Amino acid sequence: MRAAIWAEGVKLAGSTVGRVGSVAIVIGVSVLSGSMLLAAHSDDPQLLAKLGPVATGDWTGFLLGAAQITGAGGLGGFAVVLAWIVGREFGDGTITGLFALPVRRSTIALAKLLVYGVWAVAMSVLLGIALFLVGTLAGLGPLTEAHWAALARQIALGVMSAAIATPIAWAATLSRSVLGGVSVALGLVVLAQVSVLAGLGGWMPLAAPALWAVSGGTAVTPIQLLLLLPFTGMAVVATALTWRRMQLDR
Amino acid sequence: MTGPLSATGVTRVFANGAGVFDVNLPLIPGQVVTLVGLNGAGKSTLMRLLLGMLRPDSGSVRLAGRLLPQAPAEAWAKVGHLVEYPLAYPELSTRRNLQLSARLRQVTHIDAAVEGIITEFALDQYADRRVRSLSLGNKQRVGLAAALQHDPSVIVLDEPTNSLDPAGVIRLRESLLRRADDGAAVLVSSHHLDEVARIADRIVVMNAGRLIGDLDAATPEIERAFFEMVRIDDERVGR
Repeated sequence: MRAAIWAEGVKLAGSTVGRVGSVAIVIGVSVLSGSMLLAAHSDDPQLLAKLGPVATGDWTGFLLGAAQITGAGGLGGFAVVLAWIVGREFGDGTITGLFALPVRRSTIALAKLLVYGVWAVAMSVLLGIALFLVGTLAGLGPLTEAHWAALARQIALGVMSAAIATPIAWAATLSRSVLGGVSVALGLVVLAQVSVLAGLGGWMPLAAPALWAVSGGTAVTPIQLLLLLPFTGMAVVATALTWRRMQLDR
Repeated sequence: MTGPLSATGVTRVFANGAGVFDVNLPLIPGQVVTLVGLNGAGKSTLMRLLLGMLRPDSGSVRLAGRLLPQAPAEAWAKVGHLVEYPLAYPELSTRRNLQLSARLRQVTHIDAAVEGIITEFALDQYADRRVRSLSLGNKQRVGLAAALQHDPSVIVLDEPTNSLDPAGVIRLRESLLRRADDGAAVLVSSHHLDEVARIADRIVVMNAGRLIGDLDAATPEIERAFFEMVRIDDERVGR
């Protein structure tokens, strides 16, 4: 397992996709959140109306905006990187080299997901730090206990957004392409939005993390949030089993 | 006779009716077996079956005496292969790719293995360059180096001379012959009959998914003999 983890870590660290994905998630979300903060200080009533509860111009509105962006954009960023981690082996043709090794293919698949998970946690923590710095530099003042809790929820949202993207690994495997994984990612984002509109949000693992973070933890119960575990677990198991049983027959 | 890697009565048929049919092929330690055939004859399919990339509909493939799904990691650690694409990631340097491959193959002395194969395949000047920037031929060299750096006892290479320049072809030939002399069982597919004749202990002809016979490497005008064998087989089965 250690060899596979090392290999996957080296590949992600050396890749343009990994670097761009990291920048998009940490810097992209921070800059967008900062822009919303700037907009909140605008005198334009139409713009303020569009921003809604984000328009308070304080830590509460700033972190609310960041959570909204992370819920959709962050998920997209995580999904693209995961689709690449898995799907690139088929696109680059390197999958043939991952057969006939002393390391099982299911182990390689799990190593991919583990490296992705560690990277996603690191990005979520870095995003939390970046948001703290942006808010501080913007003069929002010291964080209250409630703001610290919101910042912690933001970091947790990042991790959970990465977790709900795990079916992308299975999709990229089944489709044998990066694009297949990305297409499913778009589908998941749409499904999450539809499920919120249909009133199923809390019970839909794809939507629950964002709802939880945006509502300050009130709109989603702990049990609903815990559904993420079997959801992610099933995606991990399905991906590992598919890699284990894989044949290069197409 | 069963070798370290062998196919027994292996059949795999695809939806379009193509595939390989009732193939028996043992690889023998110290012997270079070359597989020759026209495009679509089933050479790559057979190699995929031998390496577990495809499962047979019937028959069996054994590695170190065990059916492939039960073959232990130690047996796979002694296999070196290159089928279609080299295991070489474009974003990594040649050296990093070889280190990656060595780790996945459980090589103990990684640095020694990597530096040794870099020298053997004359990759010194490309060692720290990203594979993305290498020519097709040098990428192929990296893939071959990755497949051979752990001194495997079973070697399976599909069209390994593809894209190689004459110097690369000679290095590969010497590398395979040395490894065979050291006891490795080697299977190589190729279109180049003259090249095949230089290294092969056994030349197996494949046509329409079946092994139809052997060619003697000493045969004068070996290409003519090959086409004659294929023609007779086609006529026999009414193609």
